Amino acid sequence: MVLQEFLASLRNAGVRVSMSETLDAAAAAKTVGYQDRQILKDSLSTSLAKSLREKRIFNDCFDRFFSAESMKSWDDFSPADRVPVPDVSPLAAMILTGDRTGLSVSMSVAARRVDVSAISFFTQKSMYIQRILQEMGQEGLKQDIYRMSEPEGSWSKQSLEALQAGRERLFEEVRDFVEKQYALHASSVPEQIMESYLKRVSLSNVEQRDVERMRRIIQKMVQRLNDRYSRRRKTARKGTLDLKTTLRKNISYHGLIFEPCWKGKKIDRPELMVLCDVSRSVQAYSRFMLLFLYSLHEELARIRSFIFCTNLVEVSDVFKEYGVQEALAKLESGASLDLTLGRTDYGQSLQDFREKALNRVTRRTTVILLGDARNNYGDPRTDLLKRIHELSKRVLWLNPEPPAYWGTGDSEMKRYSPYCFHVQQCSTVTHLERVVDFLLRTQG
Amino acid sequence: MEKTMLDKFDSISRIQKGLEGTGYICSQQIATTLYLAFHLDKPILVEGPAGVGKTELAKASAVFLGLPLIRLQCYEGLDESKALYEWKYGKQLLYTQILKDRLNDILQGSGTLAESVSKLRQHDDIFFSPDFLEPRPLLKALLQEQGAVLLVDEVDKSDPEFEAFLLEVLSDYQVSVPEVGTIAATSKPFVFLTSNNTREMSEPLKRRCLHLYIPFPEPNMEREILRARVPDLSQTLRSHLVAFIHQVRKLDLKKVPSVSETIDWARVLVLLHASDLKPDLVSETLNVFLKFEEDLEIVRERVFEFTQNAVKAP
Repeated sequence: MVLQEFLASLRNAGVRVSMSETLDAAAAAKTVGYQDRQILKDSLSTSLAKSLREKRIFNDCFDRFFSAESMKSWDDFSPADRVPVPDVSPLAAMILTGDRTGLSVSMSVAARRVDVSAISFFTQKSMYIQRILQEMGQEGLKQDIYRMSEPEGSWSKQSLEALQAGRERLFEEVRDFVEKQYALHASSVPEQIMESYLKRVSLSNVEQRDVERMRRIIQKMVQRLNDRYSRRRKTARKGTLDLKTTLRKNISYHGLIFEPCWKGKKIDRPELMVLCDVSRSVQAYSRFMLLFLYSLHEELARIRSFIFCTNLVEVSDVFKEYGVQEALAKLESGASLDLTLGRTDYGQSLQDFREKALNRVTRRTTVILLGDARNNYGDPRTDLLKRIHELSKRVLWLNPEPPAYWGTGDSEMKRYSPYCFHVQQCSTVTHLERVVDFLLRTQG
Repeated sequence: MEKTMLDKFDSISRIQKGLEGTGYICSQQIATTLYLAFHLDKPILVEGPAGVGKTELAKASAVFLGLPLIRLQCYEGLDESKALYEWKYGKQLLYTQILKDRLNDILQGSGTLAESVSKLRQHDDIFFSPDFLEPRPLLKALLQEQGAVLLVDEVDKSDPEFEAFLLEVLSDYQVSVPEVGTIAATSKPFVFLTSNNTREMSEPLKRRCLHLYIPFPEPNMEREILRARVPDLSQTLRSHLVAFIHQVRKLDLKKVPSVSETIDWARVLVLLHASDLKPDLVSETLNVFLKFEEDLEIVRERVFEFTQNAVKAP
């Protein structure tokens, strides 16, 4: 029973616990027993938390859950006369006798009955406190106190005082308990909401402090990509029958073909060149594109990155050398990079690209442009993009603006798009996910 | 399982002592996991940074249990024929050649092809029987009479497909060979899987295993490990060395020095007859535990400071 509640709070905190793991945990707890806290913790950890991240959550949860040593304050609470007083409600009797265990049990029973684990907002706290007190028999207690305070009663003044003090303590205990339950069951709710929110929210709106979290999502995504790679490679390994090798290899079997050999297919790994606009109009957005680029750099070997504003510079080394925060700071300030952060000039940037890297664009290269195509009414140099389009495997353009804005004002998107294999709005992680999917399909 | 085995697993502290006897110093966490793995019949998935003794744990357990260690090193492209079993093609071929005459005898008198086939069928698939099966590590581990310690090393390097078929072995301790049927374990092996986390293992695999994460050891424990592994090292030098390494681990390095590298370094210092930690000596031997030029440069700058701290530390 205790274990089940613990598992519920663990699940709530984002650890996936399957049925079979539940059984394992129960068996483990049974095997080692409940005497040694550390051993119990280790045993449950080993059967429930299956990665470093989960271990951390587990430790946190375990400490919070099993630290609930309730009714501690009753240790020093000694009512004047500990003699059970007849004719009072059970709750009052427990308070008068200082029955710590009884109170503790009564509270957890009450808590279960009102289903305190469903608590998810802090505004619900006082409601749960009241409900638990109700379940424990608050009404009876109140009546007892009322009866005692009548002058003609046969009650000692001491027991009345004890009862009143006890009632206050009880309230505090229950409040602490609910507080703990709230921390246990509700702290993860915001996390879940946050994660799904971040997946949908526009990249440019996300605050600085969420960068770390965003990076995790992107890494998760890239990780999935990698898994897909290895699977693809496996099918390629089958390939077609390689007659020559097969015959040679099977000579030792009297020419009987025991061991067929296959001709491997070549894997088509994406070779990327990414051009990212970092001008002021897309600043908030480019930060996340750079973040995305950084994650790609960590995962893919053949990738070159450029950033541009008035001119264009290569930044692949920055990604390779520095940590993420440092790299982003460096790129955004443009310091020591020879980057001019003036008017955005797509024409000049494309020309720079032609000089710097066009000769390395091959038919295996995918060129990605990230930017809003707002060229300040300068010459867009579509001829250069056309050249890139002809040389490369394909050109993708990711634009943070929604399609309705393309071609309005100084946006040159409409003039660029004929030379792009694919143009897409991309301002949320979901968009990004789609793009990456697209990128990995070899027969694009 | 044998009585002696049960004895060895009778308490957690006993396991800890037993492993210590083989020279493997382990935390209570590790011992608890072993205890559970034995009593619940579960494989253990061991994760952690490189060089904290994941493989060593399996080896030490094998010594402690007195069982043979069967090791399967995973790599990309590892498949069933390398991990599970293979037919002894050569032997099959040889036997068909030798038995050719006998086959002729049997088939004599049968008129039609169908008749010969039905005659052949009366004799079982002799050429596809266990006699012609070449057991590879996984099958070998299942076939051990006394049980065995099976170590599936660096399982994260294998392909997802391989992982999928590991599942059958791990959950039921049996293997299906289509031509023969299912081969179940004579006595269940003790299974360790180690992973360096180059890729996330699949959910089903994790579900079937107990999960053990071995972090870098606390200074106390690392000293104990050094004491067990490099007994010639003096006590003061030992604690200085550990204090130094722990400072290095806090830096942002490409490859953080692991326990095995600490041990290597300790051995080097013993060979050089060092009595205490001096900046010069440290600078000269840095390359024992740092494997990248960039890392070396980062640490070299701070050798003096770190040595001071390490020597000062109580």
